[in-house]
Amino acid sequence: MPVTAQEIVALSIFTAVYAAIMTEKLHRTVAAMVGASLVLLINIVPWEKVPEYLDLNTILLLAGMMVVVNVSRESGLFEYIAIKTAKLSKGNPMKVLLLFSVVTALVSSFLDNVTTVLLLTPMLLYITRQMDVDPVPFLLSEIFASNIGGTATLIGDPPNIMIGSAAHLGFNAFLLNMGPIAFVDLFVTVAIIYLVYKGEMKSHGEREEAIKLAIMSLNEEEAISDPVLFRKSVITLGLVILGFFVHDRLGLEPSVIALSGASLLLLWSGASPETALEKVEWATLFFFGGLFIVVGSLVETGAIAQLAGWMVGHISGEGGAVLIITWFSAFSSAVVDNIPFTATMIPLIKAMGGNLNMLPLWWSLSLGACLGGNGTAIGASANVVVLGIAHRESIRISFGDFLKVGMVIMVSTVAVGTLIIWLRYIGL
Amino acid sequence: MQVGLFSELINRKFQNIAENRYREIVERYREFFLSEEELVIPRIFRVFMLLDRYSEKPNDDVYETLKAYPSARVCLLYVVEESLVRLVASTLGDEEAEKLRTLEINFGNNILDEVESRLKEMKFEVERRFVFGVKAEEPLKFKDDCDLFIISKHYGSETSKTYPVSPMVYRIVQHIEKPIIIY
Repeated sequence: MPVTAQEIVALSIFTAVYAAIMTEKLHRTVAAMVGASLVLLINIVPWEKVPEYLDLNTILLLAGMMVVVNVSRESGLFEYIAIKTAKLSKGNPMKVLLLFSVVTALVSSFLDNVTTVLLLTPMLLYITRQMDVDPVPFLLSEIFASNIGGTATLIGDPPNIMIGSAAHLGFNAFLLNMGPIAFVDLFVTVAIIYLVYKGEMKSHGEREEAIKLAIMSLNEEEAISDPVLFRKSVITLGLVILGFFVHDRLGLEPSVIALSGASLLLLWSGASPETALEKVEWATLFFFGGLFIVVGSLVETGAIAQLAGWMVGHISGEGGAVLIITWFSAFSSAVVDNIPFTATMIPLIKAMGGNLNMLPLWWSLSLGACLGGNGTAIGASANVVVLGIAHRESIRISFGDFLKVGMVIMVSTVAVGTLIIWLRYIGL
Repeated sequence: MQVGLFSELINRKFQNIAENRYREIVERYREFFLSEEELVIPRIFRVFMLLDRYSEKPNDDVYETLKAYPSARVCLLYVVEESLVRLVASTLGDEEAEKLRTLEINFGNNILDEVESRLKEMKFEVERRFVFGVKAEEPLKFKDDCDLFIISKHYGSETSKTYPVSPMVYRIVQHIEKPIIIY
C-alpha cells in the first residue's frame, strides 16, 4: 500500500515531537502542543474529530486527582506518612530499604509517582545521612518501587489511566490483574537491591543509639500544619479510593470519582479554588491533550492501521502478541517517555483486535510501559525526579550506574509479569 | 562527555517536571528536620554543679539528664558569700561571724552529702568543694575546665514573680559559653 503525502507529514510531525520530548530541548508540553497545532492547522486531524481523539476521561481523572492531592498536601498528610515510615524503620538500614520501598509502592499505586517520590525522597536522604550509609541503593529502590507500585492500579501510572480509558477496564480489573504482578515484583526488586548492595545494609553498632535518637526525635505531629484539613483529607482520599473500588458497579467512569472527590474536598475544606486550581499541573494536562491529537493524526491518515495490519500478519496468536507487546513496550519505554509511547500503542492494539483476545494484550502493554521505565535513568518521570534531587544533594548516580541495576530489575520484573500473564491467559 | 550529556538531560527534565514543587517540599521539611549543628551531641567529660543556701536540690530531671554522660566526672561546688560573713563580723562581732560560718558549713555539707551520695549511687566520680568567696565569680573560675554547668534558678537569691530566675544566675550565664542546665 503506497504511503500518502499526508502520512509522511503526520509521521514527520510525530517523529519530531517524539525527538523533542526525548531530548527535552523543548518543554514536552510545548513540543506536544506545537505538534497538535500543526496537524490541526494543516487539517490532518479535522476539528470535528478532536473530541474523539482527546481522551477526556484520562485528562479529567488526572485533573481530579491533582486537586485532591494538592489540597491534601497542604495539611501535611504526606510528610506525616514519611516521618511515620522513618520512625518505624528505627534507623536500621535493611528496615529503611524495605519499609520505604513498600510505602513508596503503596502510595504510588494511588497517587502519581512524581508526587510520591518528591515527598518521600527528602526524608529518605535525611535518614541515610543520619545512618551514614550510601544513599544510592535506597534511592534506586525508591525509584523502582514507585514504578512498580504505579503498575498495580488504574490510577497509579498515566499509561494505566490511558489503557483503562481506551479499553474500558476498571479499577478492580487492574488491581486483580496487575496487582499480583506488582506485589511479586516489589519483593523481587528489594531482594535484587539487597544482593547487589549487601555491604551498605550493615547497621553501625556503636552509633546505633545516636542514629535512633536522631530519627525518633522527628515529630510527625509537627508535620500536620492543619489538623482539621488533615482529617478531611484522609476521609476524602479514603472515599475516593472506595469510589474507585465500586465505580464499575455504580456504572461511573473513574474520572467522575476523581472529580467528585476533588469537589467534595474543595467544598468541605473551604480551600480557595483559585489556590487549589493554580497548583493543578496544567502543563501536564496540555501535554496529554497535545499528544492525543498528534497520535490521532497517525490514526486519521491510516498509518496506525497499516502498522497494525503488518504486525497481525507477523504475529502468531495471542502468546506471540503478549511476548512482542510486553518486551517491545518495556525496551521502548526504557528509552522513550512511556506516556507518548502508550498513546501510540493504544490505537495500534485497538487496530490489531478482531481475532485476538484483547485483554492479555492490554495487560502486556501496561506491564511493559510501566515497568520498562525502570530500565534507564530517563525511562520514567520518577527516575528523573529522584536523580534530579540526588544531583542537587551532590549524590552522583551516573547513567551507566543506573543502567546496570535498572536493566536487571526491568528484565526480572517484566519476566515475572509476563509469566503471570502467560499462565493466566495463555496457559501451559 | 556522555555522562555530562545525560546529566544535563536529566537536569532539564527535572526542571520541567518538578523543580518548583521540590523547592516547596524541601522548604516544608526544613521546618522539622534537625540541622547539622542540632545533631551534634556535645561530649561531656566534666560536669560542674553549683550550690548555695538558696539553691533548690537537683530534681529527678537533672539526675536523669546526667545519666546520658555516665563517664563524666561531677564537680560539686558550694559557695558561701564571704562578704556576708565579713559584714556580720564588722557589725555583730567575730563570735557571731564564726557562728554564721559554722552554720553555713554544716548546712552546705548536708546538701553536698545528699547530692554526692545520690551521684555516687549512679556510679559517678564526684569531687566536692566548699568555698567562701564571691558567688557571682567563683563559678567563673571553672568556666574553661568544665563541659556542662548545672545551676539552680534560685542560686544567689530568692526568686520573685517579677524575676523567675535569680539575677545572679543571669549574670553567671552571660559569662559561660558552655551548655548550661538551669533547673
